[in-house]
Amino acid sequence: MDGDGEGQSRWCLSQVKGAIDDDVAEADIISAVEFNHSGELLATGDRGGRIVIFQQEQESKSLPQGRAEYNVYSTFQSHEPEFDYLKSLEIEEKINKIRWLPQKNAAHFLLSTNDKTIKLWKISERDKRPEGYNLKEEDGRYRHPSSLTTLRVPVFQPMDLMVEASPRRVYANAHTYHINSISVNSDNETYLSADDLRINLWHLDFTDRSFNIVDIKPVNMEELTEVITASEFHPLQCNTFVYGSSKGSVRLCDMRASALCDQHSKLFEEPEDPSTRSFFSEIISSISDVKFSHSGRYMMTRDYLTLKIWDLHMESRPVETYQVHGYLRSKLCSLYENDCIFDKFECCWRSDDSEVMTGSYNNFFRMFNRDAQRDVTLEASWENGSPGCPLKTWRVSTGSRRKRNEIGVDCLDFSRKILYTSWHPQDNIVALATVNNLYIFQEKPN
Amino acid sequence: MLGKGLKRKLEQEEEHEVMSCYWLQRQTVLNLSLLKLHSRPGHSDPGLARRVLITNTLRHIQDELRGEGGPVPGSPLAVVDGCRERPAESHSEGSLTPVSRLEEDRHLLLCLSPPTSRQQPPSSSVIKDSFTSALAEIEDLCPTVGITTLFTTETGRSITSDPNPRQTDPGLSEMNSSTDSVSSLSDSALSVFGHTPSLLTDFSLDDFLFTEIDSLLFDNIPYGSSLSASSGASKVVSMVTDDLVKTLTGYSNGGTSQSGLSSNQTFKLDLSELDHIMEVLVGS
Repeated sequence: MDGDGEGQSRWCLSQVKGAIDDDVAEADIISAVEFNHSGELLATGDRGGRIVIFQQEQESKSLPQGRAEYNVYSTFQSHEPEFDYLKSLEIEEKINKIRWLPQKNAAHFLLSTNDKTIKLWKISERDKRPEGYNLKEEDGRYRHPSSLTTLRVPVFQPMDLMVEASPRRVYANAHTYHINSISVNSDNETYLSADDLRINLWHLDFTDRSFNIVDIKPVNMEELTEVITASEFHPLQCNTFVYGSSKGSVRLCDMRASALCDQHSKLFEEPEDPSTRSFFSEIISSISDVKFSHSGRYMMTRDYLTLKIWDLHMESRPVETYQVHGYLRSKLCSLYENDCIFDKFECCWRSDDSEVMTGSYNNFFRMFNRDAQRDVTLEASWENGSPGCPLKTWRVSTGSRRKRNEIGVDCLDFSRKILYTSWHPQDNIVALATVNNLYIFQEKPN
Repeated sequence: MLGKGLKRKLEQEEEHEVMSCYWLQRQTVLNLSLLKLHSRPGHSDPGLARRVLITNTLRHIQDELRGEGGPVPGSPLAVVDGCRERPAESHSEGSLTPVSRLEEDRHLLLCLSPPTSRQQPPSSSVIKDSFTSALAEIEDLCPTVGITTLFTTETGRSITSDPNPRQTDPGLSEMNSSTDSVSSLSDSALSVFGHTPSLLTDFSLDDFLFTEIDSLLFDNIPYGSSLSASSGASKVVSMVTDDLVKTLTGYSNGGTSQSGLSSNQTFKLDLSELDHIMEVLVGS
């Protein structure tokens, strides 16, 4: 999957969505990307509170070399900006996370959340409508009942496809702090939502109650030194979930152990390497994303500089560590100054768990092949390369000499970052977001 | 590059350069952290995670600085020890200080300056020259930081050596910007950056005097832009830095930067120069 001698990979650009110009409105900045469980739908959320869902064209899917063509399926406003009068603060409408529910019937359901409120949206199609009522006049007025002499049963007639999104549930007022994660349980009945200090368990059907399962808020807020940064349910065991912290540790909790899972069942933490200690050691160890493998046997964590794969049976250290952009280690002070050090990168697994992917700066994204122990750096750019063309691989060099396909560390553009990524659940298609564009890449089969 | 005869001196300088880099970076991170904690990003709630991380970073540095306040083993920090002795001496000799805490300011001032001197070993008597070169280096390193290093001395005082009982809780509340332990800093910081200062609560006379000097120092400089215009900040830095540089070097003996003064005299000279500068700036 990675580059051969000519610096090309088997990945090629499939599509780019969004405006291609330099003037980016704040509201258009993408803040969430998520494939659904079949991969047919791809949802994106933005800072303006909108969700856009793309659907894969059925025709291209059947072609052997089918390029995945995703087209807009539905667009709706999920969250609106709100104002917290007590604190005199705005609540942003920015979509933090989108999670799909497994499909049970013709309609699709997803959960979307901003900092404070989670919503369950139903996306359904309407392609026929009943016609033939004889109850109304032409102009819409109801006919007088005495003028009706026949009983006419309306008949469904085909109509243009209409996709409707309607909010089915609003789960509000359960979080004092900013929600950073939501995760649907494998039981398909419950889900968790995590903010900086607490994790709540919800039943999808009930919006008026939620159960607190983790609370790390200290009695005295001045003693607060650690916050929750990410959380996820185990894909197979409905009683198990993990949460990552700002200190670089991940705790696995079993809900059968107690109602309040403040006591972890497992603590995954790697002892710090004293040779790399710096002022920023804690900040760069903060977990920005945690994802279980599809198999449920492994867990991946992303911190600022690395990706770590953990075997759930071994807490002492990860089984694999991948350097995403280790060349930034000498730039941490500048990155602290411009706040980039607080960027929260997501990561994702390939369908068979053999590869993992995450984003970086300069619109680079990195793919790590676990089996072959090889990695590649690719760029999300609509300028270089046309759809269907294999992407060229990149290297970042710290030295002064530049070869072809190399870029110097000091030339990296830190305003162009790929934070949000999602891998198709079955095929080798990845979707990722640059600041305001959605990129879809597909791997050419051999 | 250098001849054999200078080899030993180069090593010594290298070691001090390494330490000075460390101190410089530590100071930079300290200032950045304080800046970040006190600036409000906008209407929306600043993230708790970010604040906690910045606070922890700050706390770590504070603990280090506090730890260095006591006797510290290891040669790299001997410079610090060397620094600290002198202020005590000159203080006991009754050197003038409108603010008694200036003594502790000098501790940090001198810890910052001597190791960055590339001309002389740290125990040299020429402190003011290295101070100016240190300032220039800081400015080169990070233009937006420069403005904070100027009132770093205030920072150092209020954070590391403030005997005020508010400070005793190490699980400190930098997170609460209303906390008094950094209120004196935040006041000067805020006044510098054009925000209205928070309530001046629990100010001791020394706090107030020193804050006033800082505020006046920056108020005298036309500065209309907000903090976010970092170019504006760096311009202010250049102006203030240049002023200080000129006045400091100007007041050195005969205008030469090389001086054979003893350390005690130099420190007294330093303080009186500083006071003089303040008077000049305040008075104008």
